[in-house]
Amino acid sequence: MDLARQAMLMLAIEPALGGVVVPATVGSGKSTLARAFGDLLPTGCPFIELPLNVTEDRLLGGIDLEATLATGRRAVQRGLLAQAHTGVLYVDAINLLDSGAVTQVVDALSRGEVIVEREGLSEIHPARFMLVGTWDPSDGEVRMGLLDRIGLIVPLAAQSDWRMRHEIVTTVLAASGGPGGRRGGRDEEHEDAIAGLREHLAAARGRLQQIEMTEEQMRALVSASLSLGVEGNRADVFAARAARASAALAGRDEVTDQDLETAIKLVLMPRATCIPNGEEELLPEEPKPSAQNDQEGAASSPDGAEQAEGAEGPTQDAPEDGSPESTDEASMDRSGDDDAEETGAAPPAGMLEELLLEAEATEMPADILSVSVAHRARSRAGSRGEALNDHRGRFVRVQPGSPRKGRIALIPTLLAAAPWQDSRREDAAAQGRTPRAGLLIRGEDLRIRQYRDKSGTLFMFLVDASGSMALNRMRQAKGALASLLQNAYVHRDQVALIAFRGEKAEVLLPPSQSVDRAKRELDILPTGGGTPLASALHEGLELARRARSRGISQVTFILITDGHGNIGLAQATDPSAPRPDRATLDAEIQALAAATVAAGVGAVVVDTQAKYLSRGAAEHLARQLQGRYFYLPNARADQIVEAVLS
Amino acid sequence: MPAATAEKAGPRARPQVFPFTAIVGQEEMKLALTLNVIDPRIGGVLVMGHRGTGKSTTVRALAEVLPSITCVRDDPYNRTPEELIAEEQPRVGRRRAKPDDLETRSIPVPVIDLPLGATEDRVCGTIDIEQALTHGVKSFEPGLLAKANRGFLYIDEVNLLDDHLVDVLLDVAASGRNVVEREGISIRHPARFVLVGSGNPEEGELRPQLLDRFGLYARILTITDLDARVEVVRRRRAFDDDPSTFFRRWNRAQQSLTRDIVAARERLPQVILPDAVLIDIARLCMQLEIDGHRGELTITRTAQAYAALKGDETVSRAHVRAIVGLALRHRLRKDPLETLDPGERIERELARVFGEDQGA
Repeated sequence: MDLARQAMLMLAIEPALGGVVVPATVGSGKSTLARAFGDLLPTGCPFIELPLNVTEDRLLGGIDLEATLATGRRAVQRGLLAQAHTGVLYVDAINLLDSGAVTQVVDALSRGEVIVEREGLSEIHPARFMLVGTWDPSDGEVRMGLLDRIGLIVPLAAQSDWRMRHEIVTTVLAASGGPGGRRGGRDEEHEDAIAGLREHLAAARGRLQQIEMTEEQMRALVSASLSLGVEGNRADVFAARAARASAALAGRDEVTDQDLETAIKLVLMPRATCIPNGEEELLPEEPKPSAQNDQEGAASSPDGAEQAEGAEGPTQDAPEDGSPESTDEASMDRSGDDDAEETGAAPPAGMLEELLLEAEATEMPADILSVSVAHRARSRAGSRGEALNDHRGRFVRVQPGSPRKGRIALIPTLLAAAPWQDSRREDAAAQGRTPRAGLLIRGEDLRIRQYRDKSGTLFMFLVDASGSMALNRMRQAKGALASLLQNAYVHRDQVALIAFRGEKAEVLLPPSQSVDRAKRELDILPTGGGTPLASALHEGLELARRARSRGISQVTFILITDGHGNIGLAQATDPSAPRPDRATLDAEIQALAAATVAAGVGAVVVDTQAKYLSRGAAEHLARQLQGRYFYLPNARADQIVEAVLS
Repeated sequence: MPAATAEKAGPRARPQVFPFTAIVGQEEMKLALTLNVIDPRIGGVLVMGHRGTGKSTTVRALAEVLPSITCVRDDPYNRTPEELIAEEQPRVGRRRAKPDDLETRSIPVPVIDLPLGATEDRVCGTIDIEQALTHGVKSFEPGLLAKANRGFLYIDEVNLLDDHLVDVLLDVAASGRNVVEREGISIRHPARFVLVGSGNPEEGELRPQLLDRFGLYARILTITDLDARVEVVRRRRAFDDDPSTFFRRWNRAQQSLTRDIVAARERLPQVILPDAVLIDIARLCMQLEIDGHRGELTITRTAQAYAALKGDETVSRAHVRAIVGLALRHRLRKDPLETLDPGERIERELARVFGEDQGA
């Protein structure tokens, strides 16, 4: 039985699993699939589809002002989350859901209810629903906070396009194999199949409570969870539920090894933060591209960024990825290139393996980020981060406020004024004034529209981790980066991290608000190998494009490099490609820089090369990118000493 | 996570919460919360850490073990008779009312959930629209801040809270009062509450001003002990299966904790803080270069509450040692390059300051 189908049936048996997320590309019939799932539930279970651009009002519910005014009694409009109670909340492209909405969905999942404290309304609506989400892996990740509360995560590799379309839709609907799925299938045979399946599920549901796991089985699940580095206990609880649901689905009264395996595949594996050693039998179908496999390895770069955050495998694989061969080649590049002066700073060729260096103190112009933003014509208000604002982004809600601060929302303003007309006339009369005809509107009635500029600014750090950056310069760069990150954190911006070394650039951290994670990635960032600057710009542009499609209005590259690219784009995809000459390399950089400028991406270049060696490569790059140039000063000796001693 | 299956999920009352005492491990968080119950002046707790480690479960479970408070019947701000009289000077006939004139009732310490989607009017309170419509009367409808007075205000995913709500909170937390001016009505009411926040640092960071407001900072990590983790799964299963039975099983432990808290509260005013310990605390804060005096104040209050909880009458170094990480972890000067965990840094200074003296 394939995993996506099994996961859905398990969820139908045990709603306490919270939900299921299925990777699916456009046109693979995913909404049909989700609806098919809805059909399997007991009658009366609501099926609510959550539009991606849902407003807070619709999501949480609120006061129905029109009805309230008409009746003189508070009328309440339930939100979509509450409407989905006992049923399905379906989100297509869950990775594109607005972050504000994600937060609300997570909250409802965690509470099992929606607390409405809005617009004069204070209510609690039950909201225990099953979340069914699909996401297109080529379109970015699903936020981990959300993923964490969804029990079943169908791994990426387990489902391909055509299988989605053919198998799931048809087999979920009609176990008997009736053709056509829902579209063709309003025929009797089809209805019978559904009825049969529903009966089967009802029986399984009845059986579920009686199924117990043995002590050993529970320990086995938790050990698997421990060795996979799964965070928190929630996953363990989900895994235990999944094992029992799997047994119930199979019509068994006790949990078998097979059920444990299913639970590990659907619950624990997708949340793994490390690959256990010597426990290969736990990993029957590796959902992540492995470093050993060349073919998958090549694909791992783009996919790595898009995979769920929980699957941190690709980033963990990074050190192995460009292992011995690349290092050798890198050292050749270096000696062959005009980087000869670097040998003094870099360790000998034989020791060019991964150098894990701690970040270290460096002075950095503290205003570097604001400077870079200010000089971009795009940034109008200087409002950064994910805050609500008054003029751009997506409309979220109406808020009291002055018209100087934003656009007036006419209807809400009139509605806000309406209840007070009588009392205002009385007040005026009491003061001996004759109120004018028409509505009496006061300043406090004014409502302005609030927008959420979905993710503000994205700072993408492109860090040169090549051999020429080894040792001290890398330490300085890491120090500089850390202080830059700190700055970004204060402003609540998003950060992404791309490192380039060996043959190609690699996304270490997809856009995230977590400085913590960026720091962690930075701490384990290995150095060594060539300088694939072109690949870094290419990856950066790709990531920027994707970020744009998710509503991030502004992207700024922060390049920390000496500016000497020596690996061509062709080598990023094919390591055996011939090494291009200087002119080709320069042309590539020139073209990519132009594309960066054309895409409206800002740039800051932080030069890491010692001044006496510099021929201005980084400065030239900054000019090409029409960005700003900073020279990274030498770290102070006392800072190094202090760090070494501590 | 949804606690009931679709079949069970009818239109029943609020879902029963998991008992506080049945939560496995996470002692740091539980201690931080308990100390705040003993002395609300500690200033709240921020619980940050890994996902799915029971942060919100624990905070929501807290309500069940809290002792009760006495307040004026039907007072929307949960005030004591004395407070109400001081603020409103009500009259009984011709004379001023005395505390005995007011009817009181005993209520559990309120634990108010501030959902992220709350609007400002519901947080601060606003004019009652129903009253205005039906009777043309302007009356104030208290908000969450009013309900939380003398209790706890809990914000899950506090690091994702909208900035305008953070501003409101900072304002009220600093003054202890909430001021609403609207439609010609001017309301001021007390809003003193213990602020409890939780979140995952990977989802986003907290504004520094807000971070500073929290008295204690509890850090939550995933339990790595196999037996403890199995126990978590087992208890959760038992709870899901039959919440009432499960709750009954933990009833004794719950009540015993409540008794301990009540006893500690009574003991608290008598707990002595020797000068020597106070000097140690000051030295420690100096060594760690803590800005301002909130650090020292929090440590002394927390250490006193801890001593009271342990049944001791004098604060000792051991008490300080036990809680100093909670009180200082978020107050260390932010050094972006620091790879040392703040806890370890505090530990190191502790050894330096306390260690030397023990030798002498």
